[in-house]
Amino acid sequence: MNATTFMWALYAREVKRFQKLWFDTVATPIMSTVLYLLIFGVVAGSRSIPGTTYSAFVYAGLLGMMMVNSSFANPTFALILSKNVGTIIDIQLAPIAPWRVGIAYALAAFTRGVFTVVVAGIITIWFIPGIAIQHPLTFLAGLLLTGTEFGMLGVTCGLMMKNFESLTLVTTFILQPMIFLAGVFYPVSLLPAPWNTVSLFNPLHHNINLLRYGMIGYSDFSPFASFIIILLLSVGLFAFMNQIAAKSLKQ
Amino acid sequence: MFALEVNHIVKTFNDKKKNIVIADDDVSLTVEEGKIYGLLGPNGAGKSTLISLISGILTPTSGTISVFGTDIVSQTVEAKKMMGIVPQEIVTELAFTVDEILHYMGGMYGVPLEERKDRIGEVLRDLDLEEKRYEKARSLSGGMKRRLMVAKAIMHKPRFLILDEPTSGVDVALRQKIWELVRRMNKEGTTILFTTHYLEEAEQLCEEITLIHHGRVIKQGRLSDIQKEFSENVVTFELFRPDVTHLPHVSKQGIEFHYPITTHLDQNMSEVIQHYGDNLRSVKSEAASLEQIFLKLTAN
Repeated sequence: MNATTFMWALYAREVKRFQKLWFDTVATPIMSTVLYLLIFGVVAGSRSIPGTTYSAFVYAGLLGMMMVNSSFANPTFALILSKNVGTIIDIQLAPIAPWRVGIAYALAAFTRGVFTVVVAGIITIWFIPGIAIQHPLTFLAGLLLTGTEFGMLGVTCGLMMKNFESLTLVTTFILQPMIFLAGVFYPVSLLPAPWNTVSLFNPLHHNINLLRYGMIGYSDFSPFASFIIILLLSVGLFAFMNQIAAKSLKQ
Repeated sequence: MFALEVNHIVKTFNDKKKNIVIADDDVSLTVEEGKIYGLLGPNGAGKSTLISLISGILTPTSGTISVFGTDIVSQTVEAKKMMGIVPQEIVTELAFTVDEILHYMGGMYGVPLEERKDRIGEVLRDLDLEEKRYEKARSLSGGMKRRLMVAKAIMHKPRFLILDEPTSGVDVALRQKIWELVRRMNKEGTTILFTTHYLEEAEQLCEEITLIHHGRVIKQGRLSDIQKEFSENVVTFELFRPDVTHLPHVSKQGIEFHYPITTHLDQNMSEVIQHYGDNLRSVKSEAASLEQIFLKLTAN
């Protein structure tokens, strides 16, 4: 039997896991998005961004943020929980190569990210009248790359961290600042020097930039360059995740 | 063909003070295909470390392990496909039902999708868990969770089943049930290796054993041969009135007397019966139990 079959069963299990917690996985980010839209729509809705409205700009950024958060949270939560309750042994004993374990979790993370973004999009799109996806292929590529990239990062963190306290630290002190400084709520190009240049080194900026370009056609950096940067980061992250998985799935 | 070959395995760990701790020290054993093999020893002897090495979740410091000729270090995935492992600790998925757990576990071991439903039914029937199929696994009792652990390990009909202390902390009825399953699977061709510190369990099930103590093999071979080797060649008897004239070479061991078997068991036993007559409270000659053997081997 093809080795991929074994991996797909693990993928299916992880998809089933978040489906069982659909309210937590979907309702929470939707609530956050609605709140952000209400606040920014009221406070800064009259501001304009070259070529688009501020509401559309923020909306695309928020969907990108949701994709990042959902993809990262899915494997970290599942893996840390399985380590705490001991069910990680099922993965350790299964005849699945460590890199395939990582990919199964990362693809499940991507699936949750897409599921969350699609459901949230359907529910909240009426906040932004007239919005339509401008570059569907770029948007899909952005979703795929962002989902798997942050899925792989989530797998790496989930395998490395021993408890939820460590995860909170990473989320609070690394991931959230990166998200907020990635240009979700403002165009990076509007920042004064040197911060506009510094922001370009924030990997997350490129995910948001690519997704936003795909969705509303606005970008403050070359979308193609962002695509290449994310691709290279993903390849690097895959190699790192593979190394961590091979080490962590041994006792 | 050997189902399992363990050759000169050494496993060391660094403790918190960076001292090297030897968990398994030059352990070698072979399990013939189709046998039930016992890996015995007290808690902390190194049995579970050896199981982790065999199952590929630990890498040996030196030595080799192969399952049906497949090296566990260099061909881990291929070797794992042939094994089903029941870990010592009971762990349960919190979110899933029994059916879901077995469905995904079967998939992870290559059971085709179209066969999984029937296979789950079979396994649950074998383990008396049919009624719990659609219940959350976390709501099962301890004994049922233990059975679910076994169910997970046999979903893919492994050629080689490893059970790490499968009856630890379970009641007598469940212990019998697990023994029955082990015997049945063995009859159907599955090679079985199990660890236990209940020596009477090994006496019930195993043909061959390895006794481990402090990470080292202290005895291994056919159970009957070991018992023969360690059985005292004596007729043991008790008397109502001990202060009598004894046969030559009779020694007192607590409340019992031992008469060495010098010619043949039957002949020496009749000598005892004739000599002591109705003063005999009991007379016996029995094989050494594993417990006695273990105590002898570890006395020093």
